[in-house]
Amino acid sequence: MAGGYAGKFLRVNLTEGSWGDFTLDDDTLKRFIGGSCLAAKLFLDRYSLDADPLSPENPLMIMTGPMVGSGFPGTSRFSVCARSPQTGIWAESACGGTFGPDLKRTGYDGVVIEGRSQGPVTLTIDDSGVRITDASSLWGRDIYEVTDEIKAHDKSVKVLAIGPAGENLARIAAIGNDKGHFSGRAGLGAVMGSKNLKAVVVRGTSAKAAKADDEGFKLAMKTAMQEIKDSALAEGLHMMGSDANMDLGMVTGDVPVKNWTSGGEFDLASNLSGPTMREKYLTKAHACTNCPIACKRVVKVDDGPYTTEEGPGPEYETCAVFGTMMMNPDLTAVIKANEFCNRYGMDTISCGSAIALAMELYEKGEITKDRLGGLDLSWGNMDAVLKLVRQIAYREGFGDILADGAVHAARRLGGSAMDAVVHVKGLEAPMHDPRGFHGMGLAYMMSNRGACHLQHFVLATEQGMASWPQLFDMKDDYEGTTSEGKAWLVYNSENYGILANSLSICHYVAYAIRPETLRDAFNAITGFGFDFADLLSTGMRDWTLKRGFNNLLGISKKDDILPKRIMTALEEGGAAGSVPDMDLLLREYYALRGLDERGFPKEEVLLKLGLNELKERLYR
Amino acid sequence: MPIKAMTQEWMDAYKAAIQADPEYKSIAKDWEGSVSLVVNPDPAKNVPEPIYLFMDYWHGDVGEFVVCDKEKAESAKFVMTGDYARWKQVAFKELDATKALLQGKLKMRGDLPYVVRNIKTVNKVIDILGKVDTLWPDDNK
Repeated sequence: MAGGYAGKFLRVNLTEGSWGDFTLDDDTLKRFIGGSCLAAKLFLDRYSLDADPLSPENPLMIMTGPMVGSGFPGTSRFSVCARSPQTGIWAESACGGTFGPDLKRTGYDGVVIEGRSQGPVTLTIDDSGVRITDASSLWGRDIYEVTDEIKAHDKSVKVLAIGPAGENLARIAAIGNDKGHFSGRAGLGAVMGSKNLKAVVVRGTSAKAAKADDEGFKLAMKTAMQEIKDSALAEGLHMMGSDANMDLGMVTGDVPVKNWTSGGEFDLASNLSGPTMREKYLTKAHACTNCPIACKRVVKVDDGPYTTEEGPGPEYETCAVFGTMMMNPDLTAVIKANEFCNRYGMDTISCGSAIALAMELYEKGEITKDRLGGLDLSWGNMDAVLKLVRQIAYREGFGDILADGAVHAARRLGGSAMDAVVHVKGLEAPMHDPRGFHGMGLAYMMSNRGACHLQHFVLATEQGMASWPQLFDMKDDYEGTTSEGKAWLVYNSENYGILANSLSICHYVAYAIRPETLRDAFNAITGFGFDFADLLSTGMRDWTLKRGFNNLLGISKKDDILPKRIMTALEEGGAAGSVPDMDLLLREYYALRGLDERGFPKEEVLLKLGLNELKERLYR
Repeated sequence: MPIKAMTQEWMDAYKAAIQADPEYKSIAKDWEGSVSLVVNPDPAKNVPEPIYLFMDYWHGDVGEFVVCDKEKAESAKFVMTGDYARWKQVAFKELDATKALLQGKLKMRGDLPYVVRNIKTVNKVIDILGKVDTLWPDDNK
């Protein structure tokens, strides 16, 4: 048995109200590791790709990786995976917090949830076993209320829950862990809602995954702690959270403004920035289990129209999408919008992007006040925005149109709407402008869940947060607004970065420590004895597996494209006058990745990576 | 005529370049406090001893700009330390100072959020540094 694994997985069928264990052999674990990579492998091997994502046949997988529960920094994570109801393709969403290590300590590496319960239920997994219990009294309540209610009986349990958005099958619904941590993207909360599964509760104390090399692990752990202590990046994240990016990103052209139509709004950024949050609203920094960085914000707004009780604060993405994207300079309104999205259980990026789209269409006169039920959706009107956030969660009024995300909304609204949506493969782009960083544009085009900044380490390598020349040939400093050399950078940053979601380690920790340290810790835990080439090769397999998954669902080269708005240069800001060279980026990337003219992995690539069964399905 | 880097004459020229810059005053209007640069020795590049540079910035104006001793350097509000080769990369804009900091190639002691908030000022003074006609210690080997 490979080190680091609990040794079994739980399969629950909510239609039948049954459950049982299954195991995987060491060779499968060594090749697909865990987290989202192992989930994709399981999905392809065991489930139909034809099922509607909101049908009982779409499995919901909650997976840890071998490093989870080890105590190594940043390894509290887990990935929730399914076919996305928002995009129709592969969906994965990694989450920090508290849930992963406790799930592991119940003796399970992951849970696969099938079927649909007749009525609302809670799935509980603890040292005494598995239970499915009635959750009728929790249905209709928001994530904060549900979490408090469940923890009122035993505050040591860890809770994964959906809110009204998930219940109402909003395709941008998220899943929340202990209020402040979310599997946000691609609508996985709706998949959970479609199963009538209100919450998954874990409490594990007894099971402990053995490490292959305890002494080696202690050494790697000590090294990692010192590297994090010495890291200015880690220090900045601790002091300012991920919103440290706001000021810096506005200078470099990273931060989108006014639904991606403007830039260079320095005063706006300053109002919304990490330093401002720290000075005015931060009550404390919060850490996921076993994390010395503590990048999470706990905030409180004492007065004004957006008074908010002490609770989880917004990340950079939320500050941008409910701030600069909406021309809103009021950080307290962002904090309130974040709280609403947390409570209702919605992805802030998708929710905010859909609203920013509506604001633009309102300004153009394509959406009237009447259609909005009397809301004045002028730029920066956060009273109206907050009302709309609620409407989205409950699918009320105009909110019903936005509840499936910006792309679905644009299709229904027509006019110029589709030209105003920034997405790839149906997923709205996160708040990093590819006009400022062309490599990110390529990463958006090629990420397997749609436009994404978390399926790779491009954010770190292209923006200079990390430099790993020992891992692959790279420079210390890349100019953002050039496409030359970026395919190589993205390809390698994907192969390394995608491992974060199979090993289940936080991106920020992986940025702050050397690759040698991560490799050594991984090997000490698992005993796999990987060198850098093995790690990168495993990343290639991971990416190719998910690409094949999407190819089987109809994804091809035509879908690897940046939207019209991103291919339109801005007139001001750090990215002014710059657009990615899509042809160059894709041509070089396709050659590196071994994709054919259709955008399918070539047969020889699949065979080299040991993906023989996928090859048979793609080339039958 | 290039000026020898990290000498008092060079510091004077740098100060004059900042004062002459048409944008500096407005960009740096919020900045308060002194900055020291510590250049680690690199005998192979003709930097046999550590070099300490002290610069005082205040709301768009500049004050004392001196080559100093370790004690004075460490009295600054912000102290940035790095190898000579890294500083030269920064001056030549081959390596962005923020990226160097995040990658651990430069170290800083001081209020990091303050620097983040005033990143435009930091970028501006580095931009001007690159415009000073400089003879670097390893240029005339």
